[in-house]
Amino acid sequence: MLAQALPHTDQPPWVRKVLLSHEGVLAVLLVAETVVFSFLGRNFWGAQNSGEMVRLSAEIGLLALAMTPVIVTGGIDLSVGSLMGLSAVLFGKLWRDAHLPIAVAALATLGIGALCGLLNATLITRLRIPPLIVTLGSFSLFRGLAEGITSATDNFTNFPERFLFLGQGYFFGGVPAQGPIFLAAAVAFWLLLHRTAVGRSLYAIGFSAEGARHAGIPVERRLGLVYLLSGLTASLAAIVYVSHNGQAKADAGTGYELRAITAVVLGGTSIFGGRGRILGTLLGLWAIVVLQQGLLLSDGPAELAGILVGVLLIVAIAANRLLRKGE
Amino acid sequence: MIARYKRELSVATALGLLLLVLAVAAPSFFGADNLRAIGVSNAPVLVAAIGMTLVILTRQIDISIGSQFSICGVVAGLLAKEGIPAPVVALATLALGALFGAVNGALVAGLRLPSIVVTLATLVTWRESLRWITEGETVRNLPETFLWLGMGRPAGQAFIVISSLVLLALVAWGLRMLPAGRAVYAVGSDAEAARLAGIRPRRVVFGVFVLMGVLAALAALLTAIQFRNAQTNEGAGLELKVIAAAVVGGVAISGGRGTLIGAFIGVLLLGAISPALVFLKAEPYWEKAVQGAIILIAVATDAINLRQRKDVGASLAAH
Amino acid sequence: MRILGLMLGAALLALVGCDKASGGGGPTASGKQITVAMMPKSKGNAYFIACKKGADEAAKELGVKLIWDGPTDPDPAGQNAIVDGWITRGVDVIAVAVENREGMSSVLKKARAKGIKVVTWDADTTADAREVFVNQATPDGIAKTLVDHAARLLGGKGEYAIITASLTAGNMVEWQKAIDKYNKEKFPDLKMVALRPCDDKQKQAFDEANNILNAHKTCKLLMAICSPAMPGAAEAVEQSGRTDVKVIGLGLPNDNKVFVKKGITEAVVLWKTADLGYLAVQAAVAVHKGTLKAGDKTFSGGRLQNLEFQGDNLLLGIPFTFDKTNIDGFDF
Repeated sequence: MLAQALPHTDQPPWVRKVLLSHEGVLAVLLVAETVVFSFLGRNFWGAQNSGEMVRLSAEIGLLALAMTPVIVTGGIDLSVGSLMGLSAVLFGKLWRDAHLPIAVAALATLGIGALCGLLNATLITRLRIPPLIVTLGSFSLFRGLAEGITSATDNFTNFPERFLFLGQGYFFGGVPAQGPIFLAAAVAFWLLLHRTAVGRSLYAIGFSAEGARHAGIPVERRLGLVYLLSGLTASLAAIVYVSHNGQAKADAGTGYELRAITAVVLGGTSIFGGRGRILGTLLGLWAIVVLQQGLLLSDGPAELAGILVGVLLIVAIAANRLLRKGE
Repeated sequence: MIARYKRELSVATALGLLLLVLAVAAPSFFGADNLRAIGVSNAPVLVAAIGMTLVILTRQIDISIGSQFSICGVVAGLLAKEGIPAPVVALATLALGALFGAVNGALVAGLRLPSIVVTLATLVTWRESLRWITEGETVRNLPETFLWLGMGRPAGQAFIVISSLVLLALVAWGLRMLPAGRAVYAVGSDAEAARLAGIRPRRVVFGVFVLMGVLAALAALLTAIQFRNAQTNEGAGLELKVIAAAVVGGVAISGGRGTLIGAFIGVLLLGAISPALVFLKAEPYWEKAVQGAIILIAVATDAINLRQRKDVGASLAAH
Repeated sequence: MRILGLMLGAALLALVGCDKASGGGGPTASGKQITVAMMPKSKGNAYFIACKKGADEAAKELGVKLIWDGPTDPDPAGQNAIVDGWITRGVDVIAVAVENREGMSSVLKKARAKGIKVVTWDADTTADAREVFVNQATPDGIAKTLVDHAARLLGGKGEYAIITASLTAGNMVEWQKAIDKYNKEKFPDLKMVALRPCDDKQKQAFDEANNILNAHKTCKLLMAICSPAMPGAAEAVEQSGRTDVKVIGLGLPNDNKVFVKKGITEAVVLWKTADLGYLAVQAAVAVHKGTLKAGDKTFSGGRLQNLEFQGDNLLLGIPFTFDKTNIDGFDF
């Protein structure tokens, strides 16, 4: 494959194209961050830290993966963080109070997540309410239901060791147990978005829903799918969160939706829809996680990470805009 | 006229129903003390909602006002403690708000960047900068001359409520009568058509963000003069509260449609939920669920009423 | 694009492969200086900032490096992530105020397995995840002090309301339960009529206090159990002109001096927060050195001598009440 890519002219155009692409710039940034923190941070370089970073990024990463197709269609889902909270407490309740076996409780939770996603989808497609508004409402509603069900104080703990392994254990001495789950999800979303007709139709919808409809694409069904997947993934993230932290409480996932959106947009997905790649989202996610972890290991102030991410976000979209103008 | 204000009427009806329930189940809600407390508490929210309505009318959004509010509150407190006279403190704070608004406006109107992303970035950057600098320390013991702008409490409370209502009336009048106001609606409905008609959309958008910043600062000021301490997290969650109020009040997120009266009723409705639950002796645990349900019901009924085919994909795009 | 993916994959493999970190054994601090990693429940809370002053004092006295970090708002997942980072970084002792009891036990056990000592302060985790718990006062002690004040002010019967931080905060819930239990046992004619959260925000506490005052005219006492709520509630009482209502609660003296002098706030209950921070660091270092172990009966560290244990809780003392007579003597 490398031989194919190497052209015969003396200035390989693919190098410039790759390096100047949004993902290319992010990759360079990621490498730069890694180099800087390898010197500044203690024990930054190595398997232990890499494993930890995978563990840290798994939950928000799952949300970001599902958020990508949503934003590609020109929509947004602000409710995923709150849905994590609701899923977490329902999972805890099903296991502890309804005495369901853990695996069954997990499957039921995934089902509930999908249903909540479907609720969002129905309001968006049937009633034509803008996704921002619908998910703003469900953002409050889901969190509110979680708090109401548990009287905000109930906390589910003492999960069996086997289950906690999912969030806290390691395979082959190094790979966190969440790793394969996240990898599977990343591959699945990548395939969906970049290798199927359904995925291509999402870009068309993001570009122009009317146009897509006229081209025969079942817009409502496709939108239903992306919001359903978003809900499903949020509840999966909730299960990972519960096993990672060993507890399920109504405040799980607070603020995660904005962090996921940041990763997606940083990764080059346009908030207007019609453009974006899973690889970009992954790079955006890791650029943020490496920055945060690197600062922590360098005894740097945590607030600096937030400030840098904010500035980075603006620079990224501004640069993207300017680059696009030049095309 | 009824058809034109359909949205506002449905929200008003919802508010009316809530008040009716209270009148039956907990009539003490309508005591003067309580109403005054609710008024003073929600006046800053109303001020912020006025700004947000204008922003949303131009098809933009600003989720950074919470951080602006927090910073302005702390700065006002610090300036007041230095002995600077209250009017100067007020002006300085408003100027700071204008500066924040200008940053947002420059990025959105100048560089043509999507407002939700820009304000997400400024939300985080400003909040973390404030936390870093203050380390979360509260500003304590603000001088007596600053509290209530030196007017004393009863006059100060009246001032807060009345000034927010006067502001509401002024801006509402300006939106209807002034060319600048009509330009706001025009830019939100169809920026290209507005440009062809001689309006400068980018200027309008910039101006709207600056105004939002000033109003967020004003809201912070109206809050700061009530308390002896200024906390660094005062503004957290303000943007969602205000956006929800505007949306519930019928302001369309796709721009170009909605009134300040609607936003005002939205503020009243959402602001009444907390006290209503206390008076109805309800468990506090279901409050967020009630708020979320109200938002969803309000927009759902709105959508059913309208029965308009909006472009499903265009949610917050502002091309 | 595939090339890019390959390049990244190669870079990642290199990152993972070159394992310079000492994987198995517990990482020790560079050189001789001991590193104490200390975490509050949330960095922005004035109470914890006050504790930090004492911690800094002890760190200077003992010549240790103090790392102070925590989530900005109370967040158990955030606490976990930071502790994980410290394990990777390599510290000698971890001292943490735990937001959620069970939520941190796994990560703290992991730290101990790697040779890092763990103590908890202000709020505890499960006993098997730490050596000792530096406790400022037990929930029962806090509850007793508060309810006794309430009973004293209301004459043994009447109504009061509680303003708490958030409905989900771990130690708030514990204190509420202890208050409820002690209340029902000792003062059956004393009733709590409302419980409202303020989410750590003073203005929200103010609003909630107003709501309570207006909705429950027979409520004569506001018990604010989180520090931003005390001045908020007192402001509400002052502004409403209700001289028959009093405020008590857990808070910092500086926040409440004005209201205590005006007679609105009758009792500010707390402990010497700087001492708590100081003691936590002293205990942490002693645990690392081995001079303090679970099962000890007393401990002396620096200027705090002969403190007693209750089980494996190292007690700072009993809650202290600041009131009109003594509040000027304190500055935090």
